[in-house]
Amino acid sequence: MRGRERIAIAISIVIFVLLLSLVLTAGGLGYILPPPKIRDIPLIYLIRSYWPFSKYFTVMSPEVVTSIVWDFRGLDTLFETVVFYLAIIASIAVMRGIFSSKKEVDLAKLGMSPIVKTVTKITIGMILAVAASIALHGHLTPGGGFQGGATAAVVSLVMLVVFSKYYLETHGVSKNSMLVIRSLGLLGVGLTAFIVVIIGLLNGVNAYVFQNQPKIVADVGMPVTIGGALISGTLWFFNLFEMFAVAAGFTIIFLLLAIPEKEVLEQLKKEVAGE
Amino acid sequence: MSDASQYVFILQYLFTILIMSMFVNLGIALYGVLARPSLIKKIIALTILSDTANTFAIIVGYRMWPSPESPVLPPVLTNLTASKLRIFKFAASAVDPLPQALVLTAIVIGLAVTLFLVFLTLQAYRLYGTTDVRKIAKLRG
Amino acid sequence: MSPELVVFAVLALLGLVSVIATYLAVIERDLVKAILFSAIQSTAYAFIYYLLMAPDIVLVYIPVAVGLYPAIVLFLIKKTERYEAE
Repeated sequence: MRGRERIAIAISIVIFVLLLSLVLTAGGLGYILPPPKIRDIPLIYLIRSYWPFSKYFTVMSPEVVTSIVWDFRGLDTLFETVVFYLAIIASIAVMRGIFSSKKEVDLAKLGMSPIVKTVTKITIGMILAVAASIALHGHLTPGGGFQGGATAAVVSLVMLVVFSKYYLETHGVSKNSMLVIRSLGLLGVGLTAFIVVIIGLLNGVNAYVFQNQPKIVADVGMPVTIGGALISGTLWFFNLFEMFAVAAGFTIIFLLLAIPEKEVLEQLKKEVAGE
Repeated sequence: MSDASQYVFILQYLFTILIMSMFVNLGIALYGVLARPSLIKKIIALTILSDTANTFAIIVGYRMWPSPESPVLPPVLTNLTASKLRIFKFAASAVDPLPQALVLTAIVIGLAVTLFLVFLTLQAYRLYGTTDVRKIAKLRG
Repeated sequence: MSPELVVFAVLALLGLVSVIATYLAVIERDLVKAILFSAIQSTAYAFIYYLLMAPDIVLVYIPVAVGLYPAIVLFLIKKTERYEAE
């Protein structure tokens, strides 16, 4: 509608002009530059993230963003995981009662040509290796659980397109098995959050949930190195379980979206007619 | 103008171009969400809007270079046997890691909302036969 | 040409590229082309995040906004309509 479109354009232009004038007056026509110093709380995080001289005030991980996400602000990540989980559950609930058919198909005829299939088989191994490296080195270099999980989800997307959905399902990648893997991943995350509490209870000391290294009032914690390699306590386990949970979650979404629309409409019509 | 103030003026101008282009992106994406009639176009514009908001948060975390030849560092310590002085020097020239951690959470939450919106759009198409909001408004249930 | 000047100039250029891509994505009526322009804008944003020294965000943003998200919306377009009405 012409009238409503014009009102929408006018509102957007007004907001744009207001923001433009606010920025210019705050800077005074050109005094906009990044500040020369950072603020106090990030300075404390940067110094305390790897401080091997006092074991009570550090996370022992040289990657500051991962230590903020999983240790200093662990509760934020907990609720982010809950929101992602609820979104996937809601998507499965919208598509309830719709199953993919189990028909007998000749797998060699579905999908793309043999050249594409051979090249895909080579590159899928490489993508999985890169995703595992990103996830498991998340406490040493930029990376982490969610980054590795999103990269591993590209593998399932490529396999869905090049081979076909029936190939994946005959080889064990179905919605239910991916739901099991996702639930196991989230269970692992929850267990790792409580593990220092369990260690403390076994030793008779009170400990905190989401605790990583020992503190002054709770002198138990996870080991910093295993066999000479730095694992930074609970951070490595968090990254591992988060990678499995995220990759399985995205695979569920793709499997649900790849059901052909004709089958979906047939099943919906049967459901309406059968009532 | 002297050489130093001319150099600072050019830096200010380039940084202002970046910030202005982010504002213009915000305005265009807002127009897309409000005015375009297709549900799928609204979803695309909504993701552009949330990405631009995340970029604003990361721009807030940037800082000036200590000198024109030594850059600021990403917040990753590269030496595991560092002395206290090296850790303090690293903290004096690294960018702010806190907005990056918050933006990580924000990207995941935006993705979750977008996934759910995609499934709702599918269900609306199956029920009403169209993804045009003006036609759906005319149907009146 | 100090390194600081080069970095800021590339940042400004990427900002302008993202404005053009956003405008084309919102105006376009063929939805598959709109997703293509949105992926170009996401690539410009990923480069901006790299130059602003945020490597964790780059590693999240590239698979999510250039790989997974256009695939999901392309599935949606295949099942519904491709062209936007006037």
